[in-house]
Amino acid sequence: MTAPAPAEAPTAGASTGAAVLEARGLVREYGPVLAVDGIDLSLDAGEFLTVFGPNGAGKSSLLGMLAGAMRPTRGEVLVRGTPMSWSDGEWRSRVGIVSHRGFLYGRLTAAENLRFYGRLFGVDDLDHRVTEGLARVRLSERANFQARQLSHGMRQRLSLARALLHDPDVVLLDEPYTGLDPSAAGVLRGVLTELRDGRRTVVMVTHHLKEGLELATRVAIQVAGRFAWEGSTGGIDRGDFERHYHAVVEGGS
Amino acid sequence: MIRYLDQIRAIVWKDLLLEIRSRERIAAMGAFAVLAGILFNFSIDTAIVRPQDVAAGLLWMTLVFGGLLGVGRTFHIEEQDNALLGILTSPVPKDAVFLAKVAANFVLLYAISLLVLGVFALFFRVSLDANVGWVILVLALGSLGFVALATLFAAMSAGTSMGETLLPILVFPLLVPMVVFGAGATGRLLGGRPFSEVDGNVRMLGAFAFAAVWIGAVLFRYVVED
Repeated sequence: MTAPAPAEAPTAGASTGAAVLEARGLVREYGPVLAVDGIDLSLDAGEFLTVFGPNGAGKSSLLGMLAGAMRPTRGEVLVRGTPMSWSDGEWRSRVGIVSHRGFLYGRLTAAENLRFYGRLFGVDDLDHRVTEGLARVRLSERANFQARQLSHGMRQRLSLARALLHDPDVVLLDEPYTGLDPSAAGVLRGVLTELRDGRRTVVMVTHHLKEGLELATRVAIQVAGRFAWEGSTGGIDRGDFERHYHAVVEGGS
Repeated sequence: MIRYLDQIRAIVWKDLLLEIRSRERIAAMGAFAVLAGILFNFSIDTAIVRPQDVAAGLLWMTLVFGGLLGVGRTFHIEEQDNALLGILTSPVPKDAVFLAKVAANFVLLYAISLLVLGVFALFFRVSLDANVGWVILVLALGSLGFVALATLFAAMSAGTSMGETLLPILVFPLLVPMVVFGAGATGRLLGGRPFSEVDGNVRMLGAFAFAAVWIGAVLFRYVVED
């Protein structure tokens, strides 16, 4: 396997014109701190982008802006060529977000949590979707357990079911593997594979190189708010990438 | 519109179900209301002051302080797992989130206000025979105005390190009109005076409540947007 070459075009995929998700010159500042510094990206259906980077690289801020949860200081996010409005409920109903914080209510049962979010997203045939969602993440037997009674891994799986309940076109994942045991990680990997093969657009930010590389069709290394490297995963060797990652991170920090 | 109402209902259902299961806020508000009523009762020298003459003012003070205990924590239930972000990244309009929070808080505070009324009727020898319906209406309007303002400012102060301290400082000055009109109307109604004497007060209280709800619904998005 060869070492990954730096991407020729940092906005690979932009030429398709009807990208599902596009970012142009995204900048996010927190007072004097520049968290995201002019990121461009373009993703089509079926593309799975993993963004690696050290702590403080601005990965979560990038994801927050793509999700419409955080307003960019400058730049814009486009959905199928149309700039996303801050109050765009239509866009929000097509995005699913998995965070290391699960957005769950500890005193609601697993099924009640899903039913609640399903009503917010206007999901049809909700009871069936809730049952299906719980089965998908292997939590059917815990449907009536309160979320606070579930282990971290189970809560993370429940959070995944919550994010996918409304069958979103775009799934954004922020460090989804954090704290998962091998079994829970296996469930997550299976669902993410289904999403990629089902032509969903996925953006995952993580610093777990193994998990991040195995499903991605594209990878980017974010350092100090910028994509310091971006490319396709075709032919990438994990060991080579790991060395390249450390070289980029150490060179860019 | 149906979806909008269903989204509101979903949040109200969730808030009330969580409260029924935890009983954190209702217990704090209820205990405060009962204890305040008892303490106020013992603090009055009945040789100088007739309890029923000061009951209305003390009742409203109990509602305001007790209400802040509960309504001030309305966004705490969202903080544990960053659930508010889950709601804010859903397609629910921000004003619907606000209206739902107000509705759920109103149910809790209104239940407490009726408890407070009962406590004061017992300890302050207040007669509810003549105007109980109007008093309940006044308390409903006052509770609505209060929860609208307190919910808005609770959202503002939730993310701050001094949230619990900040909330009363922000809210109390804005509650002055509500307390003036509410306590004035309640005092006269509990004193057996006809409704026509407090008609203006009740109208002003109603206008205050609906203005608070409307302004809160408009401003809420600016409070919760990052």
